[in-house]
Amino acid sequence: MLTDLENAMDSLITVYHKYSLVKGNAHALYKDDLKNLLQIEGPCYLKIKDADTWFKELDINSDNAINFQEFLILVIKMGVIAHHDIHKE
Amino acid sequence: MSQMEHSIETIINVFHQYSTRLGHPDTLNQKEFKQLVQKELANFLKNEKKNDAAIKDIMEDLDTNVDKQLSFEEFSILVGQLTEASHEKMHEGHPKGTDHSHGPGLGGKSGLGQGHGHSHSHDHDHGHKH
Repeated sequence: MLTDLENAMDSLITVYHKYSLVKGNAHALYKDDLKNLLQIEGPCYLKIKDADTWFKELDINSDNAINFQEFLILVIKMGVIAHHDIHKE
Repeated sequence: MSQMEHSIETIINVFHQYSTRLGHPDTLNQKEFKQLVQKELANFLKNEKKNDAAIKDIMEDLDTNVDKQLSFEEFSILVGQLTEASHEKMHEGHPKGTDHSHGPGLGGKSGLGQGHGHSHSHDHDHGHKH
């Protein structure tokens, strides 16, 4: 049986595919897919930066799509922000 | 709370559960990291967890400021690496392209059956053809 931490990581994979499988390449979040993801999964992160800014920041190779590895950068950035915010409370 | 927020919160909570045990309450020392790996990454790092040298090496790799402690920022890289590894495992024998599908992730079948009840194995958008 997986631990909570392991399930949390697999759950992040599920979250990515909820949006990446909508259209086109199975491992690509297009601009509107990322916007949906941010609006539904992390609206508070849109207060820091708008969806277009997040997209530009994550699209490392500038191919106008967020692949799985680029999504992991978002996960890490959200985690670091959330951890920081917990200590502000 | 969304699925993504819930996952991130779990990761932070587990980190704090170990970081607060000894020394600085917001960093993992070697002992705390070892305990976390053995207990919380028991399936994902099944081979490494029994090998003290391997655990030490993972920690040294993550400890970018070389202070013998892992901050949450340093630890988050391991989360990214293991999520990547689990996703790659899901694609062993399962296409990434147009016929996209997933098998079990790291930790194998037993993990998928029992541990994923609330997350991905029963998700209707998941593991299906694209």
